[in-house]
Amino acid sequence: MLSFISFSRPTDSTYRQSTRHHPDVEDLMDVDDDDLTGSEPRLTCPGETITSSQAFMRGHGTYVDKEDVIASVAGTVERVNKLVTVRAIRTRYNPEVGDLVVGRITEVQPRRWKVDANSRQDAVLMLSSVNLPGGVQRRKLESDELQMRNFFEEGDLLVAEVQAFFSDGAMSLHTRSLKYGKLRNGQLVTVPPILVRRLKSHFISLPCGVDLILGLNGYIWVSKHMKDTDQGEEGFDAEAVYSNKNEDIDNATRAAISRVGNIIRVLADHFVPLTDSLLLEAYEWVIEQEGDAKYLLLGDAGDALVAAMSVRG
Amino acid sequence: MSSISKSEKAYIQSSLLSDPPLRADGRGLTDFRTIALESGVAPLANGSARVSIGRNAYDGGGGTEVVAAAKLEVETVGDGEGVDGGRVVCSVSCSPTAYPLLPSNALDDLQHDMTSLLHATLSHPTIRPQNLCILPGKKSWLLNLDVIIFSDAGNVFDAIFMAARAALWDTKVPRTRSVQYRTQKSDRKDATRAMDVDEATHVGSALDTRETVQVSDFELPDYWDEGEPLDGRQIWPVCLTLNLLPTSHFLDATLQEEASVPLKLLVLYSFQSDTTPLLRSMRLLGTGGSDLVQIKSLLKDSEKYARIVWTALEGKLKDEYHSLRKPSF
Repeated sequence: MLSFISFSRPTDSTYRQSTRHHPDVEDLMDVDDDDLTGSEPRLTCPGETITSSQAFMRGHGTYVDKEDVIASVAGTVERVNKLVTVRAIRTRYNPEVGDLVVGRITEVQPRRWKVDANSRQDAVLMLSSVNLPGGVQRRKLESDELQMRNFFEEGDLLVAEVQAFFSDGAMSLHTRSLKYGKLRNGQLVTVPPILVRRLKSHFISLPCGVDLILGLNGYIWVSKHMKDTDQGEEGFDAEAVYSNKNEDIDNATRAAISRVGNIIRVLADHFVPLTDSLLLEAYEWVIEQEGDAKYLLLGDAGDALVAAMSVRG
Repeated sequence: MSSISKSEKAYIQSSLLSDPPLRADGRGLTDFRTIALESGVAPLANGSARVSIGRNAYDGGGGTEVVAAAKLEVETVGDGEGVDGGRVVCSVSCSPTAYPLLPSNALDDLQHDMTSLLHATLSHPTIRPQNLCILPGKKSWLLNLDVIIFSDAGNVFDAIFMAARAALWDTKVPRTRSVQYRTQKSDRKDATRAMDVDEATHVGSALDTRETVQVSDFELPDYWDEGEPLDGRQIWPVCLTLNLLPTSHFLDATLQEEASVPLKLLVLYSFQSDTTPLLRSMRLLGTGGSDLVQIKSLLKDSEKYARIVWTALEGKLKDEYHSLRKPSF
């Protein structure tokens, strides 16, 4: 029923056997300017000297100590002319226009919703950026402002697209598409945002009757497969779009949703970037092993999955 | 704590009530997540432990993380709050990063609730260790047990009590030796040999015929170990949180699961080898209600689960104890 373990890290022999040096070991450190112009991405550790402060300016993720520009985070070095920045690996989501995100309503305000999208600031969803019942082209009425909680209320999950940025850097979202809107019939899995790559489509249908929405902000919605409704503008059904009621979901689908959720968690624990083909292969691998939904949580099954995936990939 | 949408709540509830019941991560209803435990984490404390439930084994992220540390302090009996035989004072503090969405006054309330439960349970006179007394009627140890919650991923009460139990198990009470002042009655002139000038003038009366040996102070002998463990350390209670749905219950809820159950039942048991366990405390949390019949059957079940938790924890603590004892050269 329960088991206790120690905090000690799993021993990784390749990591322990390789020689590691203190950053002060000068002869191994190449602090030439050429280093920053190369096309190879360069990784840093916090405290690692990147370059000389005489020739370069410090940007985000760096600081200057005496003559050197030093990384303050682990990440990749980026350079624009004389500005050196380090893009951190573990960070909050950095939005870009057109990104697909999954968010959660945190607050209802006049004519807008505040949305938690794993970014530095809450995102904003304007009442004018959602599809209202009764047709897409309908004018907003005062009555819509008074019943905003009928569309989205606190805690609701939604899928949306980044539309623009405000002057303070907060993102503005929109759900003006039939693909976007309120989420139901499933569960949310959270991973570090860097693990979700930009794909052709972030709506993935697995053959086991599970739909995935990979939000670029690291929120992943795993749900029952929805049949494509007719895509015409007339087919917009406010009842269904803003409904809080789940459909009937059979046990096999529920088990599949749990299994997919666990696959994503295991891959994220091992810091494997997620793609549609990887998730598909991982699901097939788990089915081959004939494990039930909690199989991946036991012992070395997670490690075995990641090993199998890295061999194929 | 965390807000979840109505459809998520409905999905979690209907999955738990379906046949067979299914949880979001595929666990059974009575399965715990993996629990990591380590004792002796704070070198300056007399005893300490760190517990993490459901931690990611690779980068240490996620999971409910709790650290508990016990510190002993000498108190004079009758002076201020000191009582004969020592006392135990507990406190719980929450790191703001554990509950980033809570405003600071709500965080204070939460800390206060947790503190009151922990303090009321652990400072109970019936489980007070015997060796907190230094000099009967004069000096005693005050045991401060401080618990810090670093992150909350559900089931925080179980984690608090596990950490508290492990820290108390790890606590070493320094050895003390009582000393007394002896005045030389026959040799009054040799004032330099009296240990204390005040003491020498005090017993100057010729009418003083008392023969009682009065132990007045203590010293800490230099010894190779840090002291002896607290008495009766088996008896410290374990907490079990039962998350109640109308027709079933489950253990070790995640935050989402906690947000979708109307009622939680906390039960605290202390076990002594094979005798019947003692119910130390019981608390219902949440908006729902429950009836006596349900509570009766829940208590019966929870006793069974709590014994499993207790046995596993006891085994882990013994392992920790022996691994610390091992000479490290």
